[in-house]
Amino acid sequence: MDTTQLLKGVLDLAVLAVVAERDGYGYDVVRRLRAAGLEEVGDASVYGTLRRLYAGGHLTSYVVPSEEGPHRKYYAVNEAGRAQLAASTGTWRSFTDAMDKLLGTHGEEAA
Amino acid sequence: MNDTIEGDVARYATAVRDAFADLPAPERELLLEDLEDHLAEVAAEGEGPLEARLGAPEAYAAELRASAGLPAPGAGGPGRAPSLRESRVARRLRRSWRAAVAHPAGGAIVGFLPELRPAWRVLRGYLAVQAVAVAGSPLFSGGGLSFPVPALFESQLLGLLATAVAVVLSVRRGRGGAGRRALTILGNTALGLFGLALALQLGSDEAAGDYYRPDQVVYAGPVSGLRSDGQEISNIFAFDTDGRPLRDVYLVDQDGDPVVATHYDNEYLEPRLPLDGDGNEVPNRYPQTQYELDPAGQRQPGPTPDFRPPPGPVRSP
Repeated sequence: MDTTQLLKGVLDLAVLAVVAERDGYGYDVVRRLRAAGLEEVGDASVYGTLRRLYAGGHLTSYVVPSEEGPHRKYYAVNEAGRAQLAASTGTWRSFTDAMDKLLGTHGEEAA
Repeated sequence: MNDTIEGDVARYATAVRDAFADLPAPERELLLEDLEDHLAEVAAEGEGPLEARLGAPEAYAAELRASAGLPAPGAGGPGRAPSLRESRVARRLRRSWRAAVAHPAGGAIVGFLPELRPAWRVLRGYLAVQAVAVAGSPLFSGGGLSFPVPALFESQLLGLLATAVAVVLSVRRGRGGAGRRALTILGNTALGLFGLALALQLGSDEAAGDYYRPDQVVYAGPVSGLRSDGQEISNIFAFDTDGRPLRDVYLVDQDGDPVVATHYDNEYLEPRLPLDGDGNEVPNRYPQTQYELDPAGQRQPGPTPDFRPPPGPVRSP
């Protein structure tokens, strides 16, 4: 199954989780998502998601000057973002529970 | 090496931005304001050109558009800039035109236009002679325009005769029907534009040559000077927390380079830059002394704008 299709639905949740763990700038968020195992996450998708969450009032941002290279815009989760993260996490858990029950042991046989 | 990376980032960012040409400017800026910084991070991370690592800019733009929750652009494919005929502006123009013609008053005006043809043929002949007369000496340097009678070789009599001949020829050509249609349209358009320019020149002499049309300004590379919301900034005033104006403040940017206000030729606002010990101008010491011309044409020091600071204490983020 194509991971990129799955990612589309949950990228908001993944980005919120990464930023809630620790404030980060755009490329830093990309790197941490990939390090967490979402290797196929697209750079443009993360950038677009960050900007949409920011425009939607779920993230705040602040600029940190960098001694070499461009200054970095860090994103942080605010109250609305935290509430969104909690709600989406609940939805995700019940969804994966349902899928696990549905699939039973099929995955293990195939593997 | 650094230079090629910067060029690569700029080229890639420009190509991505082009794919968002259909968005209104504020929305586009909200989405893309960090694009260059972000791409620079990507470029600094690894080897090779951005296109090899991120894919084609059009595809990047399409992915960005989808993840930002924006619809695909118009009838064109994802990420493709709409063609001129398909563009939002063209569609709106066509819709307005149809609505205008459908309206009784609009229909009457469109129906009335052919009635104006004879008048246009006369005017066209006159404009042709005036155009030749003006081409002889530059219009906007003054003195070149003889109105209402055009002057050919500094002779108004010659101009009058030429006008009479041109009007007769123009009317005959108009009656002769469709000759070389493309050429006629081209000539009419050129003369129509010239007539418009002439009317504008006659209408406002002091404003001539100084038309600023923000909707026609094409952004090409960095713009020098300081701007706020597109408006040029010619001076900066600093205030302390009690609202007292500060004098002799030096402003620098994030790199320590002087922040220099825009100096444009404005006879009403004349900057006077202080000089350093070597006699060079100090461009970033504010507020700069500026003079304004009063109605009598006398120079007066410009006023300090009012500023009331917000109620304290103001907290840092």
